[in-house]
Amino acid sequence: MTGNFQTKVTRRTLLAGASSALIASRAWAQQLSEVKVGLLVPISGMYARPGTVMRHGAEMAIDHINAQGGIKALGGAKMKLVVLDSGDSTEKAKNAAQRMVAQETDLVAASGAYLSSFTLAVTEVTERANLPVLTLSYSDLITDRGFKYVFQTSATAGSQARQALPQIIKLAESASGKRPKTVAILTDNTAASVASAKSMREGLLAENQLQLIVDETFTPPLADATSLVQKIRSAKPDLLFFLPTVISDAKLLLEKMNEFGLGQGKIPTISFGIAIAEPDMLQTVSPELLQGVLTCVASWGAKGHEALIAELKSRYKEPWMTQNAISTYGDMWVIKDALEKAGKADRVAVAEALRSMDAGPSKYYPLGEIKFDEKGRRLGAGMTIVQWQTGVPVTVFPPQLAMAQPFWPKS
Amino acid sequence: MPQLRSLLPAILFTIAYAAVSLSVTNSYYQLVLTLVPVWAVFGLSWNLLSGYTGLISFGHAAFFGIGAYTTALGQIYFDLSPWLLIPIAAMLGGIAGLLIGFPTFRLQGHYFALAMLAYPLAILYVFEWLGFQEVTLPMKRDAPIAYMQFGDPRLYTLLALAIMLATIVLTRIIEQSRFGMALLAIKQNEAAAEAAGINTLAWKLRAITLSGAIAAAIGAFYAQVLLVVTPQSVFGMLVSAQALTVAMFGGVGTVWGPVIGSVILIPLAEILHAEAGDRFPGIQGVIFGFAIICVILVAPEGLFWKLRDLLRKRFPRKANAAPDASQPATATVTPLHTEPRKRAAGSEVVLEVRNLSRSFGGLKAVQNVSFKLHKNEILGIIGPNGAGKTTLFNLLNGFLRPDEGEVLIDGRNMSGERPHTICEAGIGRTFQVMRPFLRMSILDNVVVGAYVRAKTEDEARKLAADAVARVGLSDVADRVAGELSTKELRLMELARALAGQPRILLLDETLAGLGHGEADEVVAVIRQLARDGITIAIIEHTMQAMVRLVDSFVVLDHGAVITEGEPEVVTRDNRVIEAYLGKKWVAHAPH
Repeated sequence: MTGNFQTKVTRRTLLAGASSALIASRAWAQQLSEVKVGLLVPISGMYARPGTVMRHGAEMAIDHINAQGGIKALGGAKMKLVVLDSGDSTEKAKNAAQRMVAQETDLVAASGAYLSSFTLAVTEVTERANLPVLTLSYSDLITDRGFKYVFQTSATAGSQARQALPQIIKLAESASGKRPKTVAILTDNTAASVASAKSMREGLLAENQLQLIVDETFTPPLADATSLVQKIRSAKPDLLFFLPTVISDAKLLLEKMNEFGLGQGKIPTISFGIAIAEPDMLQTVSPELLQGVLTCVASWGAKGHEALIAELKSRYKEPWMTQNAISTYGDMWVIKDALEKAGKADRVAVAEALRSMDAGPSKYYPLGEIKFDEKGRRLGAGMTIVQWQTGVPVTVFPPQLAMAQPFWPKS
Repeated sequence: MPQLRSLLPAILFTIAYAAVSLSVTNSYYQLVLTLVPVWAVFGLSWNLLSGYTGLISFGHAAFFGIGAYTTALGQIYFDLSPWLLIPIAAMLGGIAGLLIGFPTFRLQGHYFALAMLAYPLAILYVFEWLGFQEVTLPMKRDAPIAYMQFGDPRLYTLLALAIMLATIVLTRIIEQSRFGMALLAIKQNEAAAEAAGINTLAWKLRAITLSGAIAAAIGAFYAQVLLVVTPQSVFGMLVSAQALTVAMFGGVGTVWGPVIGSVILIPLAEILHAEAGDRFPGIQGVIFGFAIICVILVAPEGLFWKLRDLLRKRFPRKANAAPDASQPATATVTPLHTEPRKRAAGSEVVLEVRNLSRSFGGLKAVQNVSFKLHKNEILGIIGPNGAGKTTLFNLLNGFLRPDEGEVLIDGRNMSGERPHTICEAGIGRTFQVMRPFLRMSILDNVVVGAYVRAKTEDEARKLAADAVARVGLSDVADRVAGELSTKELRLMELARALAGQPRILLLDETLAGLGHGEADEVVAVIRQLARDGITIAIIEHTMQAMVRLVDSFVVLDHGAVITEGEPEVVTRDNRVIEAYLGKKWVAHAPH
């Protein structure tokens, strides 16, 4: 309560000067044995749902950390989550970031901001305020700007496609006995999808001896998928790479494929991103239609996370653990580790700790280590392939994280 | 140039705003303080086109986005400084305005608004297709000032304020020049403006070019503040809507409207988002929308006009009150000179119509009409309702193109020319349905008609005052057209046509809707004009007043001339009586 009072005073006395406020509140935080961590995600507008799931993940992590004794290096200080709404536009996200650095002056680190374009805008602000930010966004651009205070825990979009393709081919070969030769790409024109499709077109497909025979880009939301599906039917590719961002597009295409007799494995469909594996899918698409559909995502609830998945289910009624929940859960633990290493509740020290951190194999992000390169990318960051199996998207790759065996849809 | 006095409130406001922003050290509040003038300028640019011309643009994001991408791509690919890129963006925005305006101004009203909506959406997809989904401005750590990347966010606010003040001054200059008058005239009545000699297309193109340039410049600056440009954030629907929202909330058609709208709405939206956003996600949108609906209900023209009307009501201006007390505020017509006007027949021909025809589908509205108008003559064009009289006038002054035939003005064929060109050639007209500019004073209404002759603002004012005096409205010249009686409006329209110093006046049912005494007053004015050497063609379907007024008649029925000649002869013509009253009355006619 008194902490609250402190920030209110800071807000009102606009003349007081940020620097003095900064010093005062920092001293306050150490006395109070409470360390504040920011979570800047969309909790209103069209991206509210994923943002809310990220908040679930963060809350669970904070509870677990505090139950296990808080930050030991700070005398058992408790971690406290400060949630800010990034809204549904780049401008709102940037404004929220400005609010975060101006008014929550005692934050030591933050996580955010779901969409790559939001993260780009947010980190422009946090970089100038020396506030370290962990992000699950994919865009390569986030860590290509020479920034020192942003840490990307996911594999970047370009890298994900590079990792996924050989696995998909291997899976197809071992299951069906023949190697796929031709592919179709069906992508929407949002940033993440475009980045993945681009890397496939520009070399990845050729490296894997795949021939691109249909290449279509659409603008979400789709009104009708008929013409797209007709092109696929007449070309008969061995694989379909489908990159939607909006759930309704995923649903529309799957239904149309089924209607044209191409669904349920006739043409194996591989998606990129989380849209096609969101719990909301089940509200409109039957599990039979989804059976066997694969999607490549940066992270997913996997082997070793069973207790977390169960807790998420009972506490928030989420049927499974998506990337948004597990990655944000992991972010809080990484920040906790950095605090232990820094030994003080100071954002610059925490950033320095993150840069030099080497905390061994990753527990909550797939593969690699808890260690960042000079760009801020996580070393060895892997990705997961998830498959719809009897109404639940489960991790089937990499093998050490797989919760089920993948199967190749029979054609 | 506007007087310094009229800019004083804007300058004082800017200084006060700058003082407040300098004292704010919280970077978040400072960002909000920066965004207020940004959106105010964007609203002002929208206002310059849509507020003054009344052509609603739903697509101003097109210019805004072009500006934003200019700064972003210019820095990434050419390493240019935003100090240079913002003027370049303004130039590109102006060019875009011209390119968009030229085809789109063929459309009017809702069609224009909807067509404008398409441009930013189309451009948005082009930028997505080009692969510019997310563009970030490179961080310049070694030369931040040269690249407009200030460490102190207050500098952004000051820069935005400077742009806002410049835009306000520019808008003020335009408002008080013939540019602004022309735009206001277009807004209130495009046809009347065109007939008054205003080249509406040229002025509209100038307006959209300037508006596009301002929008692009502020878009360029906005990108510099936001540092990340995505197609949605600069070309999106919400961006165009932002311009409309601040302008309509504050008041359309005034320089203060967008500023008031922005000063209230932008911080309100931010505060709601900041204070309530995390507890009640989305509540800010609900309250924001509710506030806007309330303003629309209570003050549909915007806060500025509502407040101004309230203040005027409470403190009526002295200038208005004084004459009301001393004398009646109705028009008094100058006493008539009684000497008879010399008849004009036989003198030089100033307007000749040859075989003029025009059909609308199967309806032959005007067929094969020929007549001559002699210098200093008063010609009455009569005929029953639907005879094609107004269509004939529309052909004469260029509203319609004839299918066949010629209109010779001083021997030169002018058929098919645009109305403002014909007006320049010396033909003025009034309308059957009056087309006053309701929110403007009588004098301002008339000034619009004077620009076709006047080179300077002073000259236009002088011509207008002159014309107002000629129709006897000098005493009420300051009153707003919306408050006038039918007779005064008729006289005002007459004055507007006169202000362009026409040699030929086309009067369309100028006496319609007037009482007996009133009609006589107007007739007296027309007679006086003829005496002063103006040639007049007048349409009427009531003969009574006309017989005493005109030198000769042309009688139309079903689009064709059935007879012409002196009043005494024409009124006895059986064909005329038949056309007006039907066959059975012919027998009763006095012979």
